Amino acid sequence: MSLTDFHRFKELARQENVVFYYTGYFSQSIVTAMGDSLRLRLSSLDASQTARRKLFSVFVEMAQNVVHYSADHLTATDESDHEIRMGSLWVGEADGHYYVVCANPISSEGAAHIRAKLEPLRTMTNDEIKALYKEKLRAEGEAGSKGAGLGFLTVARDSSNPIEFDFVDETGTAGPFTTFYLKATI
Amino acid sequence: MQNLYIAPTSSTPEVNFQFDQHQLSLRGESYPENAQAFFGPIMQAVQNYLPSLQSTQVTVDVQLAYFNSSSTKVLLELFSLFNDAAVAGNYVTLNWHYIEDDETILEFGQEVADDFTALDFHPCALVE
Repeated sequence: MSLTDFHRFKELARQENVVFYYTGYFSQSIVTAMGDSLRLRLSSLDASQTARRKLFSVFVEMAQNVVHYSADHLTATDESDHEIRMGSLWVGEADGHYYVVCANPISSEGAAHIRAKLEPLRTMTNDEIKALYKEKLRAEGEAGSKGAGLGFLTVARDSSNPIEFDFVDETGTAGPFTTFYLKATI
Repeated sequence: MQNLYIAPTSSTPEVNFQFDQHQLSLRGESYPENAQAFFGPIMQAVQNYLPSLQSTQVTVDVQLAYFNSSSTKVLLELFSLFNDAAVAGNYVTLNWHYIEDDETILEFGQEVADDFTALDFHPCALVE
Protein backbone atom coordinates (compact mmCIF):
# COMPACT_ATOMS: atom_id res chain seq x y z
CA MET A 1 0.00 0.00 0.00
CA SER A 2 1.42 3.40 -0.98
CA LEU A 3 1.40 6.19 1.57
CA THR A 4 -1.28 7.92 -0.51
CA ASP A 5 -3.49 4.85 -0.20
CA PHE A 6 -2.72 4.74 3.47
CA HIS A 7 -3.79 8.37 3.75
CA ARG A 8 -7.09 7.56 1.98
CA PHE A 9 -7.64 4.65 4.34
CA LYS A 10 -7.00 6.90 7.33
CA GLU A 11 -9.22 9.67 5.92
CA LEU A 12 -12.06 7.22 5.37
CA ALA A 13 -11.73 6.06 8.97
CA ARG A 14 -11.84 9.68 10.13
CA GLN A 15 -14.88 10.52 7.99
CA GLU A 16 -16.68 7.44 9.24
CA ASN A 17 -15.87 8.37 12.86
CA VAL A 18 -14.00 5.15 13.52
CA VAL A 19 -12.89 5.23 17.14
CA PHE A 20 -10.90 2.03 16.96
CA TYR A 21 -10.03 -0.58 14.36
CA TYR A 22 -8.03 -3.80 14.58
CA THR A 23 -7.57 -6.70 12.26
CA GLY A 24 -5.30 -9.66 12.87
CA TYR A 25 -4.86 -12.38 15.41
CA PHE A 26 -6.78 -12.15 18.67
CA SER A 27 -5.51 -13.56 21.95
CA GLN A 28 -6.48 -12.70 25.51
CA SER A 29 -3.45 -10.42 25.90
CA ILE A 30 -4.36 -8.56 22.69
CA VAL A 31 -7.98 -8.25 23.87
CA THR A 32 -6.75 -6.82 27.19
CA ALA A 33 -4.42 -4.35 25.46
CA MET A 34 -7.20 -3.30 23.06
CA GLY A 35 -9.51 -2.96 26.06
CA ASP A 36 -7.05 -0.61 27.77
CA SER A 37 -6.74 1.47 24.61
CA LEU A 38 -10.51 1.58 24.07
CA ARG A 39 -11.00 2.60 27.70
CA LEU A 40 -8.67 5.55 27.22
CA ARG A 41 -10.58 6.63 24.12
CA LEU A 42 -13.92 6.20 25.88
CA SER A 43 -12.85 8.28 28.86
CA SER A 44 -12.32 11.25 26.54
CA LEU A 45 -15.71 10.81 24.87
CA ASP A 46 -18.92 12.40 25.98
CA ALA A 47 -20.78 9.24 26.98
CA SER A 48 -22.57 8.17 30.16
CA GLN A 49 -21.04 5.58 32.50
CA THR A 50 -23.75 3.12 31.47
CA ALA A 51 -23.10 3.65 27.75
CA ARG A 52 -19.34 3.25 28.23
CA ARG A 53 -19.76 0.07 30.24
CA LYS A 54 -22.16 -1.36 27.64
CA LEU A 55 -19.78 -0.50 24.82
CA PHE A 56 -16.89 -2.09 26.70
CA SER A 57 -19.04 -5.15 27.45
CA VAL A 58 -20.01 -5.62 23.79
CA PHE A 59 -16.36 -5.19 22.79
CA VAL A 60 -15.15 -7.86 25.24
CA GLU A 61 -17.87 -10.38 24.34
CA MET A 62 -17.23 -9.99 20.60
CA ALA A 63 -13.43 -10.04 20.93
CA GLN A 64 -13.46 -13.10 23.19
CA ASN A 65 -15.84 -14.74 20.75
CA VAL A 66 -13.09 -14.40 18.12
CA VAL A 67 -10.48 -15.78 20.55
CA HIS A 68 -12.67 -18.81 21.23
CA TYR A 69 -14.44 -19.52 17.95
CA SER A 70 -12.90 -17.97 14.83
CA ALA A 71 -12.27 -20.72 12.27
CA ASP A 72 -8.82 -19.33 11.46
CA HIS A 73 -6.64 -20.28 14.37
CA LEU A 74 -2.99 -20.67 15.31
CA THR A 75 -3.80 -22.97 18.20
CA ALA A 76 -5.40 -26.40 18.39
CA THR A 77 -9.21 -26.31 18.27
CA ASP A 78 -9.64 -28.29 21.46
CA GLU A 79 -7.61 -25.85 23.56
CA SER A 80 -9.59 -23.72 26.00
CA ASP A 81 -6.74 -21.46 27.12
CA HIS A 82 -4.13 -19.32 25.37
CA GLU A 83 -6.03 -19.41 22.12
CA ILE A 84 -5.08 -17.23 19.15
CA ARG A 85 -7.55 -16.72 16.33
CA MET A 86 -8.11 -14.34 13.41
CA GLY A 87 -10.69 -11.58 13.22
CA SER A 88 -11.43 -7.87 12.80
CA LEU A 89 -13.15 -5.49 15.14
CA TRP A 90 -14.08 -1.88 14.91
CA VAL A 91 -15.77 0.67 17.08
CA GLY A 92 -17.32 3.70 15.48
CA GLU A 93 -19.83 6.45 15.96
CA ALA A 94 -22.80 7.30 13.76
CA ASP A 95 -25.84 9.50 14.42
CA GLY A 96 -24.87 10.03 18.04
CA HIS A 97 -24.59 6.30 18.80
CA TYR A 98 -21.54 4.13 19.23
CA TYR A 99 -21.39 0.77 17.54
CA VAL A 100 -19.11 -2.25 17.51
CA VAL A 101 -18.67 -4.49 14.47
CA CYS A 102 -16.81 -7.75 14.55
CA ALA A 103 -15.88 -10.06 11.68
CA ASN A 104 -14.30 -13.48 11.72
CA PRO A 105 -14.12 -16.54 9.48
CA ILE A 106 -16.34 -19.44 10.42
CA SER A 107 -16.89 -22.87 8.93
CA SER A 108 -19.68 -23.10 6.36
CA GLU A 109 -21.69 -25.34 8.70
CA GLY A 110 -21.31 -22.75 11.47
CA ALA A 111 -23.53 -20.19 9.74
CA ALA A 112 -26.82 -22.05 10.23
CA HIS A 113 -26.05 -22.62 13.91
CA ILE A 114 -25.21 -18.96 14.54
CA ARG A 115 -28.21 -17.74 12.53
CA ALA A 116 -30.54 -19.91 14.62
CA LYS A 117 -29.13 -18.31 17.80
CA LEU A 118 -29.18 -14.71 16.55
CA GLU A 119 -32.36 -14.47 14.48
CA PRO A 120 -34.75 -14.74 17.48
CA LEU A 121 -32.78 -12.05 19.35
CA ARG A 122 -33.55 -9.54 16.58
CA THR A 123 -37.28 -9.57 17.19
CA MET A 124 -37.28 -9.82 20.99
CA THR A 125 -38.02 -6.82 23.19
CA ASN A 126 -35.46 -5.64 25.76
CA ASP A 127 -37.48 -7.22 28.55
CA GLU A 128 -37.66 -10.54 26.69
CA ILE A 129 -33.89 -10.48 26.14
CA LYS A 130 -33.30 -9.75 29.84
CA ALA A 131 -35.65 -12.58 30.84
CA LEU A 132 -33.90 -15.04 28.51
CA TYR A 133 -30.52 -13.86 29.82
CA LYS A 134 -31.63 -14.52 33.40
CA GLU A 135 -32.89 -17.96 32.45
CA LYS A 136 -29.68 -18.93 30.58
CA LEU A 137 -27.50 -17.55 33.36
CA ARG A 138 -29.02 -20.10 35.73
CA ALA A 139 -29.08 -22.97 33.22
CA GLU A 140 -26.41 -25.62 32.73
CA GLY A 141 -23.65 -24.75 30.25
CA GLU A 142 -24.20 -25.46 26.58
CA ALA A 143 -22.23 -28.24 24.87
CA GLY A 144 -19.43 -26.81 22.72
CA SER A 145 -19.40 -23.51 24.60
CA LYS A 146 -16.12 -22.37 26.13
CA GLY A 147 -17.72 -19.61 28.18
CA ALA A 148 -21.13 -19.36 29.74
CA GLY A 149 -22.96 -19.55 26.39
CA LEU A 150 -24.15 -16.03 27.14
CA GLY A 151 -21.98 -14.00 24.76
CA PHE A 152 -24.57 -13.22 22.04
CA LEU A 153 -27.28 -12.63 24.65
CA THR A 154 -25.02 -10.18 26.48
CA VAL A 155 -24.34 -8.34 23.22
CA ALA A 156 -28.10 -8.19 22.52
CA ARG A 157 -28.83 -7.06 26.08
CA ASP A 158 -26.32 -4.20 25.91
CA SER A 159 -27.38 -3.12 22.42
CA SER A 160 -30.02 -0.40 22.09
CA ASN A 161 -31.10 -1.48 18.59
CA PRO A 162 -31.64 -5.03 17.33
CA ILE A 163 -28.28 -6.64 16.61
CA GLU A 164 -27.35 -6.97 12.93
CA PHE A 165 -25.50 -9.87 11.37
CA ASP A 166 -24.45 -11.20 7.99
CA PHE A 167 -22.59 -14.11 6.42
CA VAL A 168 -20.41 -13.54 3.37
CA ASP A 169 -19.03 -16.46 1.36
CA GLU A 170 -15.44 -15.88 0.27
CA THR A 171 -12.68 -17.78 -1.44
CA GLY A 172 -9.33 -17.98 0.29
CA THR A 173 -6.02 -19.63 -0.61
CA ALA A 174 -7.08 -22.66 1.43
CA GLY A 175 -10.51 -22.86 -0.24
CA PRO A 176 -13.93 -21.31 0.35
CA PHE A 177 -14.88 -19.94 3.73
CA THR A 178 -17.59 -17.79 5.29
CA THR A 179 -17.07 -14.50 7.11
CA PHE A 180 -19.46 -13.81 9.96
CA TYR A 181 -20.26 -10.15 10.70
CA LEU A 182 -21.95 -8.99 13.86
CA LYS A 183 -22.90 -5.40 14.67
CA ALA A 184 -24.31 -3.93 17.86
CA THR A 185 -25.28 -0.30 18.41
CA ILE A 186 -25.16 1.09 21.91
CA MET B 1 -6.90 -21.96 57.01
CA GLN B 2 -4.64 -19.91 54.80
CA ASN B 3 -5.80 -16.54 53.49
CA LEU B 4 -6.04 -16.08 49.75
CA TYR B 5 -4.59 -13.10 47.96
CA ILE B 6 -4.37 -12.70 44.18
CA ALA B 7 -3.06 -9.39 42.78
CA PRO B 8 -5.21 -7.69 40.15
CA THR B 9 -4.45 -7.58 36.43
CA SER B 10 -6.23 -5.65 33.65
CA SER B 11 -8.62 -8.55 33.15
CA THR B 12 -8.80 -10.18 36.57
CA PRO B 13 -9.84 -8.70 39.92
CA GLU B 14 -7.90 -8.37 43.14
CA VAL B 15 -8.93 -11.27 45.34
CA ASN B 16 -8.38 -10.62 49.04
CA PHE B 17 -10.00 -13.36 51.09
CA GLN B 18 -8.96 -12.96 54.73
CA PHE B 19 -10.54 -16.11 56.01
CA ASP B 20 -9.08 -15.56 59.51
CA GLN B 21 -10.93 -12.21 59.70
CA HIS B 22 -14.00 -13.49 57.80
CA GLN B 23 -13.53 -10.56 55.42
CA LEU B 24 -13.55 -11.40 51.73
CA SER B 25 -13.23 -8.92 48.92
CA LEU B 26 -13.20 -8.88 45.13
CA ARG B 27 -12.21 -5.63 43.45
CA GLY B 28 -11.49 -4.57 39.90
CA GLU B 29 -12.56 -6.08 36.62
CA SER B 30 -13.13 -9.63 35.52
CA TYR B 31 -12.85 -10.76 31.92
CA PRO B 32 -10.27 -13.55 31.86
CA GLU B 33 -10.09 -15.81 28.81
CA ASN B 34 -11.32 -18.71 30.86
CA ALA B 35 -13.37 -17.68 33.90
CA GLN B 36 -13.72 -21.27 35.11
CA ALA B 37 -9.94 -21.63 35.20
CA PHE B 38 -9.43 -18.33 37.04
CA PHE B 39 -12.20 -18.80 39.60
CA GLY B 40 -11.74 -22.56 40.06
CA PRO B 41 -9.11 -22.32 42.83
CA ILE B 42 -11.03 -19.42 44.45
CA MET B 43 -14.23 -21.47 44.56
CA GLN B 44 -12.26 -24.37 45.98
CA ALA B 45 -10.83 -22.22 48.79
CA VAL B 46 -14.31 -20.92 49.65
CA GLN B 47 -15.68 -24.46 49.64
CA ASN B 48 -12.98 -25.46 52.11
CA TYR B 49 -13.60 -22.42 54.31
CA LEU B 50 -17.39 -22.26 54.62
CA PRO B 51 -18.11 -25.68 56.20
CA SER B 52 -15.76 -24.81 59.11
CA LEU B 53 -17.97 -21.90 60.20
CA GLN B 54 -20.53 -21.86 62.97
CA SER B 55 -22.82 -18.87 63.55
CA THR B 56 -20.11 -16.69 62.09
CA GLN B 57 -20.44 -13.18 60.69
CA VAL B 58 -18.82 -13.13 57.24
CA THR B 59 -18.48 -9.91 55.25
CA VAL B 60 -18.11 -10.07 51.48
CA ASP B 61 -17.24 -6.88 49.60
CA VAL B 62 -17.68 -6.96 45.86
CA GLN B 63 -16.54 -3.94 43.89
CA LEU B 64 -16.39 -5.02 40.27
CA ALA B 65 -16.62 -2.27 37.68
CA TYR B 66 -17.05 -4.79 34.89
CA PHE B 67 -17.32 -8.56 34.47
CA ASN B 68 -17.88 -10.52 31.28
CA SER B 69 -20.58 -13.11 30.68
CA SER B 70 -18.54 -16.16 31.74
CA SER B 71 -17.43 -14.39 34.95
CA THR B 72 -21.07 -13.52 35.66
CA LYS B 73 -21.98 -17.19 35.61
CA VAL B 74 -19.14 -18.13 38.00
CA LEU B 75 -19.94 -15.22 40.35
CA LEU B 76 -23.48 -16.50 40.65
CA GLU B 77 -22.11 -19.91 41.68
CA LEU B 78 -19.88 -18.21 44.26
CA PHE B 79 -22.80 -16.28 45.78
CA SER B 80 -24.79 -19.50 45.87
CA LEU B 81 -22.09 -20.97 48.17
CA PHE B 82 -22.35 -17.96 50.50
CA ASN B 83 -26.12 -18.26 50.50
CA ASP B 84 -25.85 -21.93 51.50
CA ALA B 85 -23.55 -20.92 54.37
CA ALA B 86 -26.12 -18.34 55.52
CA VAL B 87 -28.90 -20.93 55.33
CA ALA B 88 -26.67 -23.19 57.44
CA GLY B 89 -26.73 -20.65 60.30
CA ASN B 90 -24.03 -18.11 59.48
CA TYR B 91 -24.54 -14.40 58.82
CA VAL B 92 -23.26 -13.35 55.44
CA THR B 93 -23.25 -9.69 54.50
CA LEU B 94 -22.76 -8.89 50.82
CA ASN B 95 -21.69 -5.30 50.25
CA TRP B 96 -22.34 -4.64 46.59
CA HIS B 97 -20.34 -1.62 45.44
CA TYR B 98 -21.29 -0.09 42.10
CA ILE B 99 -20.65 3.16 40.30
CA GLU B 100 -23.72 5.26 40.93
CA ASP B 101 -25.11 5.54 37.40
CA ASP B 102 -24.19 2.03 36.28
CA GLU B 103 -27.58 0.37 36.21
CA THR B 104 -26.41 -2.99 34.79
CA ILE B 105 -24.13 -3.69 37.75
CA LEU B 106 -26.79 -2.61 40.24
CA GLU B 107 -29.44 -4.73 38.49
CA PHE B 108 -27.23 -7.80 38.66
CA GLY B 109 -26.66 -7.16 42.36
CA GLN B 110 -30.40 -6.95 42.91
CA GLU B 111 -30.87 -10.22 41.05
CA VAL B 112 -28.32 -11.81 43.37
CA ALA B 113 -30.29 -10.46 46.33
CA ASP B 114 -33.57 -11.80 44.87
CA ASP B 115 -32.06 -15.24 44.19
CA PHE B 116 -30.18 -15.62 47.44
CA THR B 117 -32.47 -14.30 50.12
CA ALA B 118 -30.37 -15.57 53.03
CA LEU B 119 -27.67 -13.02 52.16
CA ASP B 120 -27.74 -9.67 53.92
CA PHE B 121 -27.44 -7.56 50.77
CA HIS B 122 -26.28 -3.95 50.88
CA PRO B 123 -26.04 -1.96 47.67
CA CYS B 124 -23.36 0.72 48.06
CA ALA B 125 -23.28 3.45 45.42
CA LEU B 126 -19.89 4.90 44.57
CA VAL B 127 -20.14 8.52 43.54
CA GLU B 128 -17.54 9.34 40.89
